[in-house]
Amino acid sequence: MTSDRSALNGAAASPALDRLGRARAIALPLVALAAAVIAVLNAPTYYVRVVDMVLIYVLLGTGLNMVVGYAGLLDLGFVAFYAIGAYSYAILASGQFDIHLHFALVLVIGGALAGLAGVLLGIPVLRLRGDYLAIVTLGFGEIVRLLLNNLDWLTNGPQGISRIDEPRILGFALAEPQDFFWLLLPLVAIAFTLVWRLECSILGLGWAAIREDQDAARGIGINTTFAKLLAFGLSATLGGVAGVVFAAFQRFVDPVSFSFWESLTVVLIIVIGGLGNLVGVAVGAAALIVLPELLRDYAEYRMLLYGAGLVAVILMRPRGLIDRRYNPAWVMRLLGWR
Amino acid sequence: MTLRFENVSKRFGALIAIDGVTLDFAPGQITSVIGPNGAGKSTLINMAAGSYSVTAGRILLDGIELQRLKKHQIAQEGVARTYQNIRLFDGMTVLQNLEVCLFAELVGEAWAEVLLSGAARRSRAARVERCRGELARFGLEPLAEAMAGDLSYGNQKLLEIARAAILRPKLLMLDEPAAGLNHAETESLKRRLRELMRPDLIMLVVEHDMSLVMALSDHIYVLHQGKLLFAGSPQEVQANPAVQEAYLGSPGEIDQIRDTARRRTNRVRIRADADIERRRPHSV
Repeated sequence: MTSDRSALNGAAASPALDRLGRARAIALPLVALAAAVIAVLNAPTYYVRVVDMVLIYVLLGTGLNMVVGYAGLLDLGFVAFYAIGAYSYAILASGQFDIHLHFALVLVIGGALAGLAGVLLGIPVLRLRGDYLAIVTLGFGEIVRLLLNNLDWLTNGPQGISRIDEPRILGFALAEPQDFFWLLLPLVAIAFTLVWRLECSILGLGWAAIREDQDAARGIGINTTFAKLLAFGLSATLGGVAGVVFAAFQRFVDPVSFSFWESLTVVLIIVIGGLGNLVGVAVGAAALIVLPELLRDYAEYRMLLYGAGLVAVILMRPRGLIDRRYNPAWVMRLLGWR
Repeated sequence: MTLRFENVSKRFGALIAIDGVTLDFAPGQITSVIGPNGAGKSTLINMAAGSYSVTAGRILLDGIELQRLKKHQIAQEGVARTYQNIRLFDGMTVLQNLEVCLFAELVGEAWAEVLLSGAARRSRAARVERCRGELARFGLEPLAEAMAGDLSYGNQKLLEIARAAILRPKLLMLDEPAAGLNHAETESLKRRLRELMRPDLIMLVVEHDMSLVMALSDHIYVLHQGKLLFAGSPQEVQANPAVQEAYLGSPGEIDQIRDTARRRTNRVRIRADADIERRRPHSV
């Protein structure tokens, strides 16, 4: 860390390189954006669809990372909040009850409902630690899935809700994966910015202290219950937002999409990427969503190879693919933003 | 501003750790609690800090009954402590270990830190400056960016005291601050604790290092098997035959005990260093 910082300081010392640095700060993101535009306009729909799924999982991973990575609370029922968001849109913008709310409105409602569910779940379970917390949250995830399966009048049961409204934003209908890419990209950017600032804020430091030593954290006056409830609520809100986008993207939801496997995938994304690191979340989501797609050709061995890949990563890089020092601050220094 | 333990008892199952003890602690003074192992010294700290419940009696800080409050509320009332076994936030930097102590004070403004970049920069700069100032007082400023878990044992002990000090406490409780420190480190600790002293601060020290206790304390309580055996000035404690017998042993034994104590603290130190080594991440 010190070595690359000193290298950058060295660059700043020379005026020519300094100008280069400033140009780089503006040019690199623009080049990346232009490349994205060209790629999305030309790539086959299937690829764009995969990228969209990666971005949805980046949102999910960013949300769960607040609880698991920052506050150190293992939550295995995260899919519940994803489901609450998705069903919010499915119910409030479809023929199910003939309610057709605007996408942006449901984005707020779905996020709020999921956040509320997160706080309500948090109140009883946050007395538990470690494995116990993991088991109870896992149970909560299953309860939500079973409710979706059995509340036929509300959720249409196992058949799910189909023909969900196409979201319209500023008069544009979002139908193709290409359209959703332009919705997801800013959403991810906003989520990353806010969550990174949270991580750097006094609240993020408080979460880290709870993760390191909860009793010592109480001893310096941190109301750990309050801090953990905030982590749970904010994380669930982001899960709910991802769910709303997912429902609009698929235009169909059913309980099968919200099984324990989904929770596990999101946990794996942050563990494989590098716990508590937003760059790790992005890399982890890309790896864990793209890898199974690449393995489609080996149909019956697909999950076996996927599992072997995970084991290999855990054996070779037990702290995740991305080291902690390659965090968003490092990326910003690389781009010359600070 | 006083701290008073009033008929306080603590029972662990059949074991009575503290048995109806009444103690008073005055501001502007360093009061030490000494006694043999198992006398209940750390139990006092743990009860006052809210780590242990109180079986009977009251602990009053300025008339506030601490035993009724939750642990974080006690801290917010101005009670800070260090631990017998160092408990830092190992995975955070030295600076962050101090910054996070301002949580209770600053968490109300956290939303501004997230939503407004200007406010974030200003409040962060103010926070960091204050914490660096505190680190400088303890000579830890050059290590601000190091991981707390990577510090030497002596520096970890200092950082723990710095963490308690930045809370600007009314009551500061130190649980064996000199354990495992060498002579030079103990001397500098003594100086730093004196510097920390303010007229409105109650300092409670539990310590085995008798030379430090005698040099530092204004007042000493001697506990023995959960009961108050003796109270007085360092000179009175040293002169009291009951204390000699219960705690220090006969004069001939004293040298022997001092020797074993020195050997033991050395061992603790080696073990702690090995422990730190083990916890160090492989990537470093």
